[in-house]
Amino acid sequence: MAAHTLRTLVAKDLTLYFRNRFFAFITVLALVFYALIYFLLPATVDETLEMALFAPSVPPAFAEQLTQEGVILRQMESETALRQAVVDGDVPVGITIPAGWLEGIAAGEAEPLHLFFRADLPAEFQDAYRIILQEMTYAMSGQPLNIRFTEETLGPDLVGEQIPMREQLLPLFAVFILLMETMGLASLISAEVEAHTLQALLVTPLQTGSLFLGKAVTGVGLAFAQAFLLMAVTGGLSREPLLITLTLLLGALLATGIAFLIASVARDMMSVMAWGMLAILVLALPAFTVLIPGIASQWLQILPSHYLVDTVYRVANLEAGWADMTGNLLALAAFSLAFFALGALALRRKFQ
Amino acid sequence: MNPLQNTTQSVRRIAVFLGKEFLHGPRNFLFIMAIVVPLVLTFVIQLLFGSLFTGQPRLGIVDEGDSRLVTAAEAENAIRVNRYPAAAELRQAVAGGAVDLGLVLPPGFDDRVETGETVAVNAYLWGQSLLKNRVILATTLAVLIRETAGQEAPVEIVTTPLGDLQSMPWEERLLPFLVLMAVILGGSMVPATSLVEEKQRRTLSAVTVTPLSIGELYAAKGLLGFLLSLLMGTVILVLNNAFGIHPGLLLLSLALGAVMAVTFGVLLGHFIKDINTLFATIKGIGILLYAPALVYLFPEIPAWIGRLFPTYYMVQPVVEISQQGAGWAEIAPELAILALLDLLLVAIIAFFIYAQRSDRRLLPRPGKSG
Repeated sequence: MAAHTLRTLVAKDLTLYFRNRFFAFITVLALVFYALIYFLLPATVDETLEMALFAPSVPPAFAEQLTQEGVILRQMESETALRQAVVDGDVPVGITIPAGWLEGIAAGEAEPLHLFFRADLPAEFQDAYRIILQEMTYAMSGQPLNIRFTEETLGPDLVGEQIPMREQLLPLFAVFILLMETMGLASLISAEVEAHTLQALLVTPLQTGSLFLGKAVTGVGLAFAQAFLLMAVTGGLSREPLLITLTLLLGALLATGIAFLIASVARDMMSVMAWGMLAILVLALPAFTVLIPGIASQWLQILPSHYLVDTVYRVANLEAGWADMTGNLLALAAFSLAFFALGALALRRKFQ
Repeated sequence: MNPLQNTTQSVRRIAVFLGKEFLHGPRNFLFIMAIVVPLVLTFVIQLLFGSLFTGQPRLGIVDEGDSRLVTAAEAENAIRVNRYPAAAELRQAVAGGAVDLGLVLPPGFDDRVETGETVAVNAYLWGQSLLKNRVILATTLAVLIRETAGQEAPVEIVTTPLGDLQSMPWEERLLPFLVLMAVILGGSMVPATSLVEEKQRRTLSAVTVTPLSIGELYAAKGLLGFLLSLLMGTVILVLNNAFGIHPGLLLLSLALGAVMAVTFGVLLGHFIKDINTLFATIKGIGILLYAPALVYLFPEIPAWIGRLFPTYYMVQPVVEISQQGAGWAEIAPELAILALLDLLLVAIIAFFIYAQRSDRRLLPRPGKSG
C-alpha cells in the first residue's frame, strides 16, 4: 500500500476520532487528570513513627531506647505545649514522664506513663504506640527477651527508599490509558459501520487489508502516544527508556487487537461501551496487584496485561533491566500479536 | 371525558409503557451498570478498607506447636495476623507482600519461653515493608512473647484521647459516595440514556403518534429510574449495614433523593440529542453531582461547602439517619429543602413540556374523534 494512502486513512481516522466529543473529551481529560493526580501525590514515603515528649528532665536512657525502637522524638517545653501539638495534629501522640520516673522503674515502683493521642487517631495506631511504649519500659526494667531471630529479607530491602504511591500508580495509569483506547478505536470503527462509510470505502480500489492497517496504525499511534506522553511528563522514562517504550508499544498493539475484537462484536456505541468496560475491568486487574501486594494469584498471569504492568512497574521502580524482563517482553509480544491477528481476522470476517 | 377518567386513562397508559420499559430496560447497558457498579464498588471498598488498607502491619505465622502467642497476636488490634500451614507457603506470602513479617514458631515454643530458655525463631521479612510496620510488628511480638513468658509490665500506661474529633473508618466515609452513585446512576442515567436513545433511533417520534403524551412518556421512564434508584440505594445501605433505626424515614429520604435524580435525568434526556453529548455532559458536570461526597471523605473540608450543592440534601439525611441515628426532628430542614428542590425540578420539566407543546396528541383519542 502506498504511504500516501495510509497517511490519508490515518488522517481521516484521527479526524473522525476527535470529532466524537465523548472520546475526544475523555482522551484529553484522562491525560490531564492522570498527570495532575501524579503530581499531587507525595513524592516521598513517610515510614517513621513520631512522638512528642515532655519530661522535667529527660532520662537519656529513655530517649535512646525509643530512638532504638525506631521512633522520632520531639521534646516539648511543657505538658500544655505537648497537648496542643497533639490536638493540632503536629504529632500523632505525646508522652509525659514524671520526675524521678527512671529511679522508680529501678525500684519497681514507677508512676504511670501518660500517653496522649488525638481522638481521631485510628485505633490500631493508638494500640501500636501504647505497645511500643510498653516494650520500651520492659527493656528499661532489664527484663530479658529470650528469643534469637534468624531473619531473611525477601526481595530488595527498601527501608529508607520506599516507592512512593505515585510511582506505584504510574504503571496503572499508563495501562488505563492504553485500555481506554480500546473503547476509542472500537467506537471509531463502530461509528463507521453505523454510518456505512466503511462499506463505502470497500467498494473503492482500497483493499480490506489496507483499510485495517490504517485503523491499526491509528489505534497503536493514539494509544502509544498518550501512554508515552504520560510517562515522559512524569519522569517514568528516566530509567531504561527504550525498554519502557518498547513495552508501551506492545501494549498499544494489544489494545488495538482488543479494540478490533470489540468492534467485530459490537453493534453500536452503547455496545462498544459495554464490551469495552468489561475488557478494561478484566485487563486492569493485574494493575491492582501493584497497589495491593499479596492479592496476586498465579491465574492473573493468563491475562496479557499482567506482563505489561509487571514490566513497567519493575523497570520504573525496582531497577529491572532487559535481562530480567526478557520473559515478560516475549509473553507480551506473543499476546499482542495473537490478539491483533485475532482481532483483524474477526473484523475482516465481519465485513467480507 | 371527565378529569377523573382522563387521569385514569393517563395512569393506565403510563403503567403500560412502564411495563414495556421494565421488559426492555434491562437490555440497556446503563441499566446493568446502574446495578453492577454500586455493588462492585461496595464489594471492593469493603475488601480494601475492611482488611487491606487498615494501616495495620501484617504478620504471618506458622505454628508448629500450639502456641498461645498466635491467639494473643490475633486478639491484638495493632496488627493483623494470617496463619499458614507450612514455612514454604509463609515464605511465598512474604515474598509476594501478603504479609510484612513471617514467623515460624517451633514446637514447644511456649514451654521453652516460660522456662527462660533462649528460643531460635526463623523470620522472613518483606523487603518493601515500611520501617514503621517493622517497628510495630517487632515491639508487638516482643510484648506478646514477654507476656507468654509470664513477665509483668513494669509500668502502667494511661492513655488519654484529646480533642473532640472521632476516628471515622474509610468505609463509613465512602458510604455517602456509594449512596450518591447508586441513586444517581439509576435515577439520572437510566432515564436520560433511554430518552436520548429513543431520540437517536427516532422511536420517540413513533411513540408520540400514539395516545401517549410526552409527559406520560417522561413519567414512565422516570418511574423506572425512580424504582431502580430507590432499590439500589436501599440495597447499598443494607449491604453496608447502614439501614439505621428509622427505616421508614430512610426510605422517605431515599425516595425524595431518587425523585431529584430522576428529574435531573429527564431534563438531560429532554435537552440532549445524542449519546456522545450526554456522556460528555455527564463527565463535565459529574463532579458537581458527587462533590458533597468529598466533604464526607475529608472532614477537614468545611461542612458549609457541601451545602452549596443540591445533591448534599439528597445524601445528608441518609447519612444522618444511617450513621448518627438521627430522627425526623434532626433531618426535617434538609428534607424540606430536598422536597422543594424536587418540586422545582418537576415544575421546570412541566414548563418545558408545556412550552414545546410536546404533549399534544397527534392521533385522535377514543371518544374525541369527531
